[in-house]
Amino acid sequence: MKNLTIVSDAPGEKLFMLGNEAIARGAIEAGVQVAAAYPGTPSSEITETLAAVAKDTNMYVEWSTNEKVAFEVALAASICGVRALACMKHVGVNVAHDPLMTASYIGAKGGLVLLSADDPWAWSSQNEQDSRYIAQQGYIPVLEPSSVQEAKDMMADAFNLSEEFKHLFMFRSVTRIGHGRSDVVLGEISKEKRKGSFEKDPSHLVLAPREVRKNRALMVERFEKIKEAVDRLPYNQLKLINGAKLGIIACGLSYSYTLEALKWLGLDDQVSMLKIGTPHPLPAELVKRLLNSVEEILVVEELEPFVENQVKVIAMEADIRVKIHGKDLVPVIGELSTRKVTDAITNLTGSKSPVNFTQLDKLGEETAPLLPWRPPILCTGCPHRASQYAIKVASRRVAKDYGKDIVPIYPGDISCSTLAYIPPLEIPDAVLCMGASFGLANGLCRVVEAPIVAEMGDSTFFHSGIPPVINAVYNKANITMIVLDNSATAMTGFQPHPGTGYTATGEETTQLKIEDIVKACGVKFVEVIDPFDLKKAIATIEKAIRFDGPSVIVSRRLCTIIEQREKRKRGEKTIPYYIDQERCSEKCNTCVMLFGCPSIMKEDGKTIIDSTACTGCGVCAQICPYNAIKIQE
Amino acid sequence: MVKEFNILITGVGGQGVILISELLGNAAVNDGLNVRGSEVLGMAVRGGAVTSTIRIGSEVYGPLIPMGKCDILIGIEPSEALRNITYLSPSSLVILNMAKVVPTSVFIGESSYPSLEEIVEKLSQIANRVIRLKAAQIAEEAGSVMAANIVMLGALFGTGQLPIKIETTKEQIRARFSAKLAPVNIKAFDLGYQTCQQALK
Repeated sequence: MKNLTIVSDAPGEKLFMLGNEAIARGAIEAGVQVAAAYPGTPSSEITETLAAVAKDTNMYVEWSTNEKVAFEVALAASICGVRALACMKHVGVNVAHDPLMTASYIGAKGGLVLLSADDPWAWSSQNEQDSRYIAQQGYIPVLEPSSVQEAKDMMADAFNLSEEFKHLFMFRSVTRIGHGRSDVVLGEISKEKRKGSFEKDPSHLVLAPREVRKNRALMVERFEKIKEAVDRLPYNQLKLINGAKLGIIACGLSYSYTLEALKWLGLDDQVSMLKIGTPHPLPAELVKRLLNSVEEILVVEELEPFVENQVKVIAMEADIRVKIHGKDLVPVIGELSTRKVTDAITNLTGSKSPVNFTQLDKLGEETAPLLPWRPPILCTGCPHRASQYAIKVASRRVAKDYGKDIVPIYPGDISCSTLAYIPPLEIPDAVLCMGASFGLANGLCRVVEAPIVAEMGDSTFFHSGIPPVINAVYNKANITMIVLDNSATAMTGFQPHPGTGYTATGEETTQLKIEDIVKACGVKFVEVIDPFDLKKAIATIEKAIRFDGPSVIVSRRLCTIIEQREKRKRGEKTIPYYIDQERCSEKCNTCVMLFGCPSIMKEDGKTIIDSTACTGCGVCAQICPYNAIKIQE
Repeated sequence: MVKEFNILITGVGGQGVILISELLGNAAVNDGLNVRGSEVLGMAVRGGAVTSTIRIGSEVYGPLIPMGKCDILIGIEPSEALRNITYLSPSSLVILNMAKVVPTSVFIGESSYPSLEEIVEKLSQIANRVIRLKAAQIAEEAGSVMAANIVMLGALFGTGQLPIKIETTKEQIRARFSAKLAPVNIKAFDLGYQTCQQALK
């Protein structure tokens, strides 16, 4: 067994890798010297991988406060001639949208790549956005890999392309690339280390109106050159079959599904195929050659008809009359699969699938009602559950004073705490995007008479939570803003942030206190609570809601997963709780029906605690009306 | 080289689904095999349903196993195996850990959990064979209840169908665990292997 790692300079050797590790490896091979990111599924492992080897590779790696800053950090390095990478999930690109749209006017000196990790089927996201449209809007070329191996190769090459065309590139990954796994053949690691130098060049770097007009023309010119070159890139491949009636254009990962579907159907030598690795700009000559050689076209791509619509334009401009299919046969909703592609091909060719999908669909429908509902939920001992329980109790008390039928409103945020929107906690009420809970609260209080209690995670607070706090102070919004501070970016894998006192590479740094920041923003009611001290927490939240004007509470407790991990390291034992069956009332069910800790279970009508899973937080003991929950002796 | 061999590993967050696929994938690469796989990380892990695919062979391109094309389905949690029934075919094998993990939704009356008999019956209707074992008990016998997932991995090899060498996989286990835990996990692997072989006799 060879001991290969992500930094082994062993060209030709094979390593089994997660897609995001392979992407990181590509950046290492390219000699990237600056990598900045904000965590977001399915992109986080790229920067985590880079951070872990930052010292070995002499790379600067940071978790930025948000994607806008991350992109600006990378852009600055590129302006100074150093290769730089900014990674984010698809919705993160929205946060970076502002600098991005003007960065393409500047282009790139050191290779510059923005990675967008799109999430078809929204496995871990608030939408199914197709980020390629953002690139199109900004004249930014897009690379989209068809496999984990190609993801590594493309990422390594992206920086060469960026420097060759003096332009930034977008790398579009999808969940099944980033969280795919494959054997990967390694390439050579660049030994080049550059020293950044800033050359004053205001006519290029100060985008004042006069310079905008000139730089816009230069940007369009750069993009035209890329357009001419993409037909020759190895990522776009045309395979024409003599006499083929059907031609398939498959972009990115859908190429893999298409290859598999064609093999299945025994059609791999009967259908012409164009593999697309650059959905923007499209290799127009290759597209035309395919259009001219077949009677019908099927475009296969994840999410929107981005390639399809461009192909239709190319066909129209070149006056090629061929029927072009795409999203009429390949679903626009959800992620693709070999099955979906097979369905589209059988629909067009009349060939028969070797697997009877209809029968399997029926089996799936019959089985579904038997299955327990198993959504992701807050962990045992999660401090958010205690905070959210306290918020509910306190806000309902205050709501009574507003009127008989008044219920409190809970805008929520992108966080583990979102998971509690289902029974039994059923909080938050609305979740939109990073930072939106405080923003929505600012609006809700203008039109509704009810207690408005917004909750947001600590990492999100640093990301985009501060402007709406200032807005609430400035515009005198009567709302309560609660920061659920578990001292980690927990949902994406416990990355550090400005409140933790550590950087991405583990160096100690200034630890920012959320309470200090909101006080400096002018909030007059600021309290820090421990959610595990439930009585005090409820009382303090109640006071905050009754306060006239914006109030902030920081509910602080370390993420239970980190806490348990550290406890094990220290050799500390967890003492679990149990339910005294003599005291427990069969009819009560408060702990099960209102709190919902996964370690509290029902067995033969009795309520019990799973002692192997209980973390000993003791919050359930505080809510039990019969004092039946006790710590084991 | 094998053309296509598909393994689907199912369970609940925290049961070690991903570890099994990492060990399998590394072993397969060391054996010079072509490997693809995928899993859902992130939000779906918080106590939710977890699936991971490992696909081996010269004609495997995509990361996902198509419906009806799974060769071996591992259920570290029984209802999670049932949730993936549409991936099975009449030639599939199912290795089922007979230990329920009942989600909170059942206790609050939002859903219900089928009986283990019902799960086995449903899976048996389509699969060639459902091999049942109690992974936690076997793991305890090996020295740690934590090694239940490695028992399942051993059972997977016990089917005798895998294109990966047993010794390569054991090398991966030894490399992955500390000197103290490696022998426990090797034993868990062997006991899982034997249990499966016994069941198939």
